[in-house]
Amino acid sequence: MLLELALAASLQQAVPQEAPQIMAALTHETVEIREDFAGTELILYGATRGLTIQDEIVVVLRGPDQDLRVMQKRRSFGIWVNAQAQEFDGVPAYYSIASTRPLEEIATSEALIRNDIGLPQLLVQAYADRLNDLEAIEAPAEDSEPTGADLSEYFAAVQRAGAREDLYSAAPRGVDVLDGGLFRATLALPPRTPVGNYTAEVYLFREGRPIASRSTSMRVEKAGIERVIYEFAHGAPMIYGLLCVALAMLAGYAAAAMFGRR
Amino acid sequence: MQIYLPIAEISVNIFLLLGLGAGVGFLSGMFGVGGGFLMTPMLMFIGIPPAVAVSTEANQIVASSASGALAHWRRRTLDPKMGGLLLIGGSAGSIFGVQLFSFLRGLGQIDLIISLSYVSFLGIIGGLMLIESVRAIMRRRQPEERREGGRGGHRKRTWIDALPFKMRFPRSGLYISVIPPIAIGFFVGTLAAIMGVGGGFVMVPAMIYILRMPTNVVVGTSLFQILFVTGLTTFLQASQNQTVDVVLAMLLTVGGVVGAQFGARAGRHVKGEELRALLAFMVLAVCLKLGWDLVVTPSDMFVVLPRGGEVGH
Repeated sequence: MLLELALAASLQQAVPQEAPQIMAALTHETVEIREDFAGTELILYGATRGLTIQDEIVVVLRGPDQDLRVMQKRRSFGIWVNAQAQEFDGVPAYYSIASTRPLEEIATSEALIRNDIGLPQLLVQAYADRLNDLEAIEAPAEDSEPTGADLSEYFAAVQRAGAREDLYSAAPRGVDVLDGGLFRATLALPPRTPVGNYTAEVYLFREGRPIASRSTSMRVEKAGIERVIYEFAHGAPMIYGLLCVALAMLAGYAAAAMFGRR
Repeated sequence: MQIYLPIAEISVNIFLLLGLGAGVGFLSGMFGVGGGFLMTPMLMFIGIPPAVAVSTEANQIVASSASGALAHWRRRTLDPKMGGLLLIGGSAGSIFGVQLFSFLRGLGQIDLIISLSYVSFLGIIGGLMLIESVRAIMRRRQPEERREGGRGGHRKRTWIDALPFKMRFPRSGLYISVIPPIAIGFFVGTLAAIMGVGGGFVMVPAMIYILRMPTNVVVGTSLFQILFVTGLTTFLQASQNQTVDVVLAMLLTVGGVVGAQFGARAGRHVKGEELRALLAFMVLAVCLKLGWDLVVTPSDMFVVLPRGGEVGH
């Protein structure tokens, strides 16, 4: 991609015009999840230099990676059972795209794939990564390899599951171009926003090719009492467990004392 | 008002949780059951991950059984020796159940096993309870002299009496083998870990019909065993799977304690047999709902699960 950008930049030099540039900043460097967290909105502000009327802007916000297992339901003995697992390594737990126009109008799918934009491409990679991992350890599993059509159903399932929780979203007109080459994108973080590191990539597309890009990052983290409890539960699980039991016993005893006398 | 649960990692309405606690507490106070079999499916229904629902419900049952067990301890309507044996089996069962839970979660089959366990146990127990209470209601309508007909005489000898390692249980007035109590305890402990229930609905009938304990010590002894087994389950789930959400447990407990008081008062106005029949219908309704969900064609033919022990998505 760098090579391509360099190439694009060198082509631009032939024209007596400044090389296009793009800059971006998020309204938050960290988003804190507190006890009243029910989702929030992030605004990404940006500026471009050399923006022309045909140029388009694409903003991608990508959350932390997670490993997934996707299973297809099969009916056996009359009930639906999870079967036929496919595994994925490093699927973003959050992924949203905002753009000035629908993506398919901005660039061909080949151009998007080349620049790693779009969830389908990431899923193909995540699946390949897992397959490589498995082959490194041992020979691939004995059950028959799924065909391309089958696999695309698994990819679609991951996207559906994410979309249900608003973790995967696309806003085809979510980027507003303001005066003087400034732009603004609104990105929604749903109630189930996972904690971790996020990166926002902004791309300036001209004639179906990215001619400039910039990335910025932020963190989503638990804060306040939520963080204290979470870290306690994971840092000292045994003491946490004992405390949970003690608290419950105390609550039961208090209830008996309060209501028992009447 | 939304509250973000730190371990379940979702945001839920606080009044929904308090109301759920109070509603299930009301029913459990009215019927004298733990209510875990209602609460765990409800928690999953509102979107709490199954692993967190099961572990957290075990924690709430600690609170709800503590006050009951305490009351029975004071009234001496509790057989500590029998409770101790049940507890030995229960502890082993709980440890086994938590391991099994982790293993099944790794396979991606935990939801199915939880549902299947619910359907089969609720179906059997609900069905038996319904038959029993309908018979009792019918009997009550019959003339006085025929009512006592089936009772009396010596207790029949069963295969239970043939087992070795016999022990005396003065409080229950029994002289039986230690194997059945330990086996029942183990079984109930495993259920507690997998289903997020106290297991009273299995243990009480088992104590009456298999161990033939006198009914006045059955409930107290059952609560005693449930208190310790759910306590151990909570501890194990917290230390091994980090799936106990203390905020969720406390909210449910606050609602549950208040609900149970009103439920207990409401229960006094209903006759025992009718109460049992009502409870049987409720158990069967939960069973049918869960069974229906297993059979009906799912809206999404795929499930996306996190890999490697992480909770959520």
